[in-house]
Amino acid sequence: MKSIKILMAAVLLLSSILLKAEIKNISTDNVKIAGSCALCKEGIETAAFEKNISKASWDKDTKMAQVTYDNKKTSIDAVLKKVALAGYDNDRYLAPDDAYGKLEDCCKYERAVKKDAVAQKKMPEHQHGAMASTDKDAAADPLKPVLDAYYAVKDALVNSDGNAASTNATSLVKAIKAVKMDQLASEQHMIWMKVMKDLDFDADHIAETKDTGHQRDHFSSLSDNMYKVIKSGKPSETVYYQHCPMAKEGKGANWLSQIPAIKNPYYGAQMLNCGKTTETIK
Amino acid sequence: MHFGKTAGIKAIFPVIIFLLFSETIFAQKIVRYDLYVKDTTVNFSGKPKRAIAVNGQIPMPTLTFTEGDTAEIYVHNELNEETSLHWHGLFLPNKYDGVPNLTQMPIKPHTTHLYRFAIIQNGTHWYHSHTELQEQIGMYGSMILNKNKEPDIPTVPIVLSEWTDLNPKNVHRMLHNASDWFAIQKGTTQSYSEAIQQGYFKTKVANEFKRMTAMDVSDVYYNKFLINGKNESQLPQFKPGQKVRLRISNGGASTYFWLTYAGGKMTVVANDGNDVEPVEVDRLIIAVSETYDVIVSIPQINPGSAPVSYEFLVTSEDRTKSASLYLGEGVKQLASPLPRLKYFEGMKMMNGMMKMNGDLDDMGMNMSLNQMDMNVVMYPEITGPPAGNKIKETAKPAEMKGMEGMKMDDNKKPMESGHADHNMYNSNALSSITTLNYAMLKSPVNTSLPRNAPVKELRFVLTGNMNRYVWSMDNKVVSERDKILIKKGENVRMVIYNNSMMRHPMHLHGHDFRVLNGQGINAPLKNIIDVMPMETDTLEFAATESGDWFFHCHILYHMMSGMGAVFSYENSPANPEIPNPRLAQRRLFADDRAFHFMAENDFATNGNDGEAMLQNTRWSIGTEWRLGYNDHHGYEVETHVGRYLGKMQWLMPFIGFDWRYRKMDMDEVETNLFGQRNTKDKRSILSAGVNYTLPMLVTAQAEIFTDGIVRFQLERMDIPVSKRLRMNLMVNTDKEYMAAIKYIFTRNAGVTAHYDSDMGFGVGLTLNY
Repeated sequence: MKSIKILMAAVLLLSSILLKAEIKNISTDNVKIAGSCALCKEGIETAAFEKNISKASWDKDTKMAQVTYDNKKTSIDAVLKKVALAGYDNDRYLAPDDAYGKLEDCCKYERAVKKDAVAQKKMPEHQHGAMASTDKDAAADPLKPVLDAYYAVKDALVNSDGNAASTNATSLVKAIKAVKMDQLASEQHMIWMKVMKDLDFDADHIAETKDTGHQRDHFSSLSDNMYKVIKSGKPSETVYYQHCPMAKEGKGANWLSQIPAIKNPYYGAQMLNCGKTTETIK
Repeated sequence: MHFGKTAGIKAIFPVIIFLLFSETIFAQKIVRYDLYVKDTTVNFSGKPKRAIAVNGQIPMPTLTFTEGDTAEIYVHNELNEETSLHWHGLFLPNKYDGVPNLTQMPIKPHTTHLYRFAIIQNGTHWYHSHTELQEQIGMYGSMILNKNKEPDIPTVPIVLSEWTDLNPKNVHRMLHNASDWFAIQKGTTQSYSEAIQQGYFKTKVANEFKRMTAMDVSDVYYNKFLINGKNESQLPQFKPGQKVRLRISNGGASTYFWLTYAGGKMTVVANDGNDVEPVEVDRLIIAVSETYDVIVSIPQINPGSAPVSYEFLVTSEDRTKSASLYLGEGVKQLASPLPRLKYFEGMKMMNGMMKMNGDLDDMGMNMSLNQMDMNVVMYPEITGPPAGNKIKETAKPAEMKGMEGMKMDDNKKPMESGHADHNMYNSNALSSITTLNYAMLKSPVNTSLPRNAPVKELRFVLTGNMNRYVWSMDNKVVSERDKILIKKGENVRMVIYNNSMMRHPMHLHGHDFRVLNGQGINAPLKNIIDVMPMETDTLEFAATESGDWFFHCHILYHMMSGMGAVFSYENSPANPEIPNPRLAQRRLFADDRAFHFMAENDFATNGNDGEAMLQNTRWSIGTEWRLGYNDHHGYEVETHVGRYLGKMQWLMPFIGFDWRYRKMDMDEVETNLFGQRNTKDKRSILSAGVNYTLPMLVTAQAEIFTDGIVRFQLERMDIPVSKRLRMNLMVNTDKEYMAAIKYIFTRNAGVTAHYDSDMGFGVGLTLNY
C-alpha cells in the first residue's frame, strides 16, 4: 500500500514536471496557411514545431492553423516564416519558389497571390526581348516564333528540367504548324519543306517524354535541322551555333542559342559550359 | 539623423557669410555635422551589452554631402577612451584621414576634434572608427556623396554589420589563443566523429597531416546580423513596379555578406563609390568594407490584387544567420535561404591545394578577381546537396562527375579537359545562378593613368597562420616593416598574391586604384580588393597625394594583428597633427605587438593541472603546472620563453625553468630512457630546448637541462573527437605519459578525465580563460 502511494506521488510529481516542460507564456493565433493534403499537414506542423516553444495544428479543409507559442521566446511572425520557408504560403509570408518546388506533388497547392506575382515578375524579364521583337519582326521573320519556342526547349534542357522541356516542346509543335510558308523566302521555303516533318517528329517526341536523356537525343537532330533552316535565311536576331564535342558519348552535338555564352543543353549543371560557338548567324 | 544637416547648415550660416567675405575660394556650401560619441547599452540578442553610439544611434548617422561641398565634422568624444573617425574611400588631405597615431593623434576622452575637407568626388562611402576594436560595437555609418545631378530614383543608404555579445577585446584574445568556441557555436568543429559519419575520415586525417585545423570561411561567431541596425525591417513606402537604388556599405568588422533579392535580379551600378556599367546578377558577395550600389525593382502586381513586399536577404558568408529588409508593403515574399556549407568538401579542396611546407599551390590555375571561387565546392545550391555516407558514390557533386567524364576523354581531347579544370570552381559556369565577380565590373569612363610617368612596382604576398592567428604581408606585421616609400607623380603598380588560407579585403586609404581585370582602359576603380586564397590581383594608381597612407586588410582582427603597411610619400611636409612622430609610431606598432593572455586549470581529484600563456606575433611565455594534493604526488612547474620562427611558426626554440618537488620512497630513483638518473625529489633547474610542430599537429619537444639531463617529448593537444569532446595525449623519455579527454560545456568550463603517470587517474572541472 505504502509503496503504491509513493509510486502515485512520484507519478504526480513527474507529471507536474512534464507539464512544466510545456509551452509557457502561451499565445494562440489562428492563421491561414496554404496546403492541400495530409502530407501538407505534416509538413506545416513539423515546420511550426519547436520543443517547448511553438506548435501548430492545421486543418486541411479550412486551411486554418491554430498556432500556439511562447510569446517571450518567439513570435507568430517567426513561426510563420519557418512555415513559409518549408514551402507553405501564409498570411504573413510567401514561400520561396524553390521551397514550393520541393513540395510533394500532392502538396502543390494553388498559389493565389504568388502565381500572379510570378507571372508578372517573369514577364518583363523573359518576354521583354521576345515580345518587343515579335511585334516588330513577326512580319519580317515568320520563323521567329519557332525559334523562340526552340530556345524555350533548349533552356529547359540546360536546366535539365524534363517537365518544362516537354511543355515547351508542345508549344514548339504548335509553332511549327503555325508557320505561314508563303511568307518565307524561296530558298528558305525549300529547306523548310524538306525538314518540317523531321522538326515536327523530334519536337513531338520531346513533348511525349519527361526523360531528359531521350529528349536530348531528339534535341540533337532537331537542332541540326533548325540550323539548316535558320542559316538559309536572315534571322531577325543574331543566332549562335554552338558545339559540344563530348555530347552523345563523344560524337558531339550542336545547338542554337540566343546568347554567345555557352550554356550546354546536353549536360545541364554537370558541365554547363562545355562547348564553343562555331558560327554566328546574323 | 537629419537634424545634423539642417540644423548644422543654419548654425553655420553666419560662418558662410564670414567666409564669403574673407576668402572667395571657399564659395562652396559648407555642410556641418556634430557627432557626439557616447557609451550606450544595446540589446540585440536578449542580453544588454555595452556599445558605442553616435548621436544616440547605431549605425552612426548617415552623412550626406554633394560634390563640391566642404565638410566640417565636429567629433565630440564623450567616451572615457580615445577614438577617431576614418572617412572610408574619401580623397582628402592626409591629416584628416583619421588613422590614430599615423595621420593624427587619437581624439582624447572628452575633447572635440574637427575634420574639415572639401568633397571632391561622389559615390557611396562610409565612415568608421579606426581606433582599436570600436568599429565592432557600433562605430560605423553611411557617407553618401551625391553628384550635382543624381538620377531620379528612390535611394536607400544601407549599412550592413554584425553583433557579438562578447567584448571584442575578448574575441580578439580568443582568436589568438586558438579557442574553438566559435566553431562549436557555429557547428563547424569538423571533428573526427563528424568526419566519419559523413564519410570524410581520410579527408580529416589528410588535413591534420598537413598541420591544418578545422577550416572555416570566417573566424568569429556572431549573435546577430544587422541591416541599418536591425535584423528585420520593412520599407513599406515602395510601390509595385518601382525601382529602388540600394547604396550598400559593408560595415561589418569581419563578415562578408551574400546579397540576394526575392523580387528577381539585381543590377549592380556602382562599386566602392565609382560607377560601373550596369550588370545584372542573381547574387553578389560584398567583402568587408566594400560598397555596392544595386538597383532592384519591386515586381508589378495584377490590378486589384494585394501588394507584396520582397525580401532583400543578407546572409553571412558562413551562412549561420541572416538579416532581412522587406521592400514594399503587404505579405512578404521570402528569398531562398542559402543552404549550409559543406565544410568537409572545403577541407578536401584545401588539402589538395596545400603543400606540405604550408604554401598554397594553385595547380596552374592562375586565379584572380574572384572569378573562380574555390568555395564553390561547399555551396550546395551549385554543387549539389551534401553527400551522405551511404549515397556518396551515386550522389557525388556534379562537377566531380563532369571531371571524371573529362578524364575519360583525356587521351582524345586534352584541350577540353583543361577547360573542365578551369570550370571546376567557376560558379557561373556550373549553374544558372549568376554571381558577380570583379572581372564583370567595367568603368563607364577611361580610367587609364597618366602616360610617361615612372612606374613603381610593388609585390605583396599575403601570409598568415590560422593556428596562431598571425596575419601579415610577406611574413611581416606592421611593426616589423619600414614604411613603403612612393614618390608623387609616379604610377604605383601593386601585385598581390594571397598565400594564406583566408580571403583578405585589402584597403588603401585616400586613393582609388584601377583593378586590371581585362577591361582595358575601362578598368574599374576601387579602394578595396578582396583577394581569395591563391589569387593574384594587379592594381595600379597614380601617386598624387602626400603624407602617410595606410594599406591594410580590413578584417578588423587581421588589421589589429598587424596585417598592413604604410605607404609614405617621399619628402612630404610634416603632419601638424603628429607633433611627436616617434611616439606616434610606437603607439601604432603597439597594436600588433600586444600580448594575449590565456590560462587554464583543471581542478581534478588527483591534483591541479594547468597552464598560462602570454603570446604575441613572435613570442611565447608559457607556464605549465601539475600540483598534486600531497608530497608523494609532487608539484611541478615548467616555464618556457620561446620565439616562433618561420612563416608557418612550426619551430620554436625556447629557454626554460623547471621546478619540481616530490617525496619518493627510499631507494626509489627514476631513470629515463637514456639511462640518466633523476631523483625528481627536489629540482630547480634551467633548460634550453626547441618545439616543432609535426604533421598531425603533434608538438615534438627536445629539452636539455643544465644538469645534463635530456628530455624528448611528444604531445598532441585538443584532438577534436566529437563536437565538444577533445583529447590530449603526451609521452616523454622520462617515462611519463598522460592521456586526457575533455568535454567542453561553455566558453570557460569543461569536465576532464585524465590519467597521468605521476598522479594517476583523476576527474575534474576545467576552467579556462
